Amino acid sequence: MEKENILELRNVTKTFGDFVAVDSVDFTLQAGEIHAILGENGAGKSTLMNLIYGLYQPSTGRIYVTDREGWRRRLRAKSPRDAIVAGIGMVHQHFMLVENLTVAENIALSLGQLKGKQKDGREGWKNGRMDAPQSSNLPRLLSSLPVFQSFWFKKEDAIHITEALSEQFGLAVDPSALVRTLSVGLKQRVEILKALAVDARILILDEPTAVLSPQEVEGFFTILRKLQADGRAIIFISHKMKEVLSISDRITVLRRGKKVYLGPTGELTARELAREMIGEEINEVERSGDAPLENKTSDSVLQLSNLTVRGSRDEIAVSDVSMATHRGEIVGIAGVDGNGQRELAEAIMGLRHSESGAISILGTDPKGTKAVRQHGVGYIPEDRQTTGVIASFSVTENLLLNVTHLENIAHWNVVNQTRKRNTTEQLIADYDIRPPIGGLPAAALSGGNQQKIVLAREISLQPELLIAVNPTRGLDVNAAHYVHENLLAQRDEKKSVLLISTELDEVLLLSDRLFVMSRGKLIEATAQRNDIEALGLLMTGETHRDLSDGLET
Amino acid sequence: MMLNVGNILKRIDIRWLVTPVIILASAFVTNAIIMLLCNYNPLEAYQAAVSGAFGNTRKFGETLVKSTPFLMAGLSVAMAFRCGIWNIGAEGQFLMGALAATWFGTKLAPLFPETPWIAVPMSLGMATLAGGIWGLIPAVLKVTRGVNEVISTIMLNYVALHLVSMMIDGGPLQEASQRGPQSDRIAEWVFLPRLFPPHRIHFGIVIAVVLAIILTFILFRTAFGYQLRAVGEGAAAAEAAGISIMHNTLRVFFISGALAGLGGAIELTALTRRLYLNFSPGYGYTAIAVALLAKLNPLVTVAAALLFGALSTGSYGMQRTVGISDKVTFVMQATILLFVIGYGSIQLFRKRESSHS
Repeated sequence: MEKENILELRNVTKTFGDFVAVDSVDFTLQAGEIHAILGENGAGKSTLMNLIYGLYQPSTGRIYVTDREGWRRRLRAKSPRDAIVAGIGMVHQHFMLVENLTVAENIALSLGQLKGKQKDGREGWKNGRMDAPQSSNLPRLLSSLPVFQSFWFKKEDAIHITEALSEQFGLAVDPSALVRTLSVGLKQRVEILKALAVDARILILDEPTAVLSPQEVEGFFTILRKLQADGRAIIFISHKMKEVLSISDRITVLRRGKKVYLGPTGELTARELAREMIGEEINEVERSGDAPLENKTSDSVLQLSNLTVRGSRDEIAVSDVSMATHRGEIVGIAGVDGNGQRELAEAIMGLRHSESGAISILGTDPKGTKAVRQHGVGYIPEDRQTTGVIASFSVTENLLLNVTHLENIAHWNVVNQTRKRNTTEQLIADYDIRPPIGGLPAAALSGGNQQKIVLAREISLQPELLIAVNPTRGLDVNAAHYVHENLLAQRDEKKSVLLISTELDEVLLLSDRLFVMSRGKLIEATAQRNDIEALGLLMTGETHRDLSDGLET
Repeated sequence: MMLNVGNILKRIDIRWLVTPVIILASAFVTNAIIMLLCNYNPLEAYQAAVSGAFGNTRKFGETLVKSTPFLMAGLSVAMAFRCGIWNIGAEGQFLMGALAATWFGTKLAPLFPETPWIAVPMSLGMATLAGGIWGLIPAVLKVTRGVNEVISTIMLNYVALHLVSMMIDGGPLQEASQRGPQSDRIAEWVFLPRLFPPHRIHFGIVIAVVLAIILTFILFRTAFGYQLRAVGEGAAAAEAAGISIMHNTLRVFFISGALAGLGGAIELTALTRRLYLNFSPGYGYTAIAVALLAKLNPLVTVAAALLFGALSTGSYGMQRTVGISDKVTFVMQATILLFVIGYGSIQLFRKRESSHS
């Protein structure tokens, strides 16, 4: 039996300037299904969801929704509010909860979003049929409870709603608990309850398991199945192949904004799906400038032993990582964003406290970023705009933004103007920073030239260890090539480079040794460098053992 | 050697002048409207104001005298804001400096009888230290407990204010005769010398201007100043570069407090010579406007402080010559403040937003 499509996207395209984020995508969601969307970073998953949720409006194409009464309508959501009225709920990866309010108050807040819509609930439905009863867009619970029908906030009503919801869906949570005291798994439960409180028929879950422990994931899946049984449709976004395969009914794969695959779960194996996600083209990349292995000395430069680091939300971001980098090699760490790469780099740089384990740089244990810098560590941070350069500082000032440079040009704290000018003019010329005007604020330069500032500053100090995080993100081909050349030159100078990047082809192109980082774990994958599928699987959370198991069957 | 005129011209940038000119023009136009509504002739009034502030050497000297506390407190605010520290506590730090100078001048000075070359530097030094330490309190709270400095510095202003009144109103620093809520006059050899007696122009003006020059040099020509600005403009980038945000926060708070404290001591030892209630008519708050008008540049702060000094002497002029009531002149001063703060904070917030995005 062909199931009814509760949500349908027809030929939807979203462009930002010249960039096509979502490219003529067709997508359907059936009532009562769990539809997984797979894709690499930047494949367009988030943009697609934001289009459905009303945060963006499509450049071209149409979105149709079937409402609670069974009417099919064109959705023209100008804001999430319109989407919510249309029965679409979203659980964001980073929770949208008021930490200092109770669970019940948070849920009452989400009901409040609908308050103004009671009289004109049709705002999102400009082209809709007008003969359906007015109340059809109103959540049943809302109309049955007086909590927002009066001016006064009634705490008991909010608690009552929360209890009713918890009971109905079997999502146990204490209504009067302060949200900030809840565990991550419980917070997520509150987010789901928020969506259910406004009677969302379509639930968008953006990487819901990223923050959960394996045990919590199991419980979470039970909830999803319950919701599914209740007739709700779920869009499940994830990088994790295993989870997608175990929970979803159908799978859509996006690559570079395009839908490249749609099929029932089980039609393709994990390996085939990974290939769809990553594409074939990377096999064609030829690695250039390979240094002979015997040139590599065995001196280790960076040594990590059992390093564990907590992330900003106090979760374990880096888990028991041990590795070493040596002179004359580039060690690459591939992986999907948010698997602990950023925290790993920050811990090495002394910008983030490490929970346990040891970081040794050239046999010493420097404390604090300044000491790390003084031990000859260069850093190309992930976030160029806020961590790489200071936008309001001039090019010249940005070229000196490193304690070692400052020490070199200052005598008794007074900056030697001649030395400052000579140093920076030389760097501007050597690294071809354009326009070559030292007094210009960095904000006036293109991303590629800003990155050249960072490269010039960090590499000119001839660091023993260079840590580069997504060094070519947002750069055009030429600028990216320039960055790659500089990283290779560092290796040829017998320096050590740690390249952390979400661009798999970049890591494959440059690395002498290769790791994959997934859920805070570091997995050596040098042997898999020619096996894209295996790499894809490692990046989506599989282990080597899973891989070998899969090969046997 | 050939002078490259083109290069020099390129380096002279007058765009920074645009904002202050707009601010002042809009304030003066608004004030003209206010005066018209109150049936005064604005042209006459402005003429009286200018002559009151700059009419002759004596009046100009008085304007300089009035400008000094604005300048010292303005420098204090400018340094803190440069580092991204929103120190609203110049008022309290100013008072603590004055309190320390009073204590020295009334209680400790007799230990150094008739020795201005020791007593004057010591009183100023103690006041500087007192202001700096008062500034370190919110700094320590911020770096250890993450307490927002805007709140803590404002609250400490009240603590300082009431500490002063406690000391001089029934406390150990009240005048020996116990007649009013004020201290004894400080010993004569602690007086900060006046340059052209009997006129009130004093040595503190020189100190303040020299400090403005030194601070400009520190900000733009030293590694320390560079790091301080880097923390203010881009904390994340500065931290990644190995610049300690904690150290810079502590240092700049001390410097900021010290400057305000020194300002309080200068005002006290050069002019009032005794501490009384309402010693500061809000210098520390007005200083925020002074520093913002000067775009947090210490040298430009000299000019901004001069403007605020001229505003107060100018309004005397208006009261005397045109008979505008002091209520109206207060309204006019407040209008200027509003424009300055309005424009200044818009610009500042824009800058913060763009550096965050």
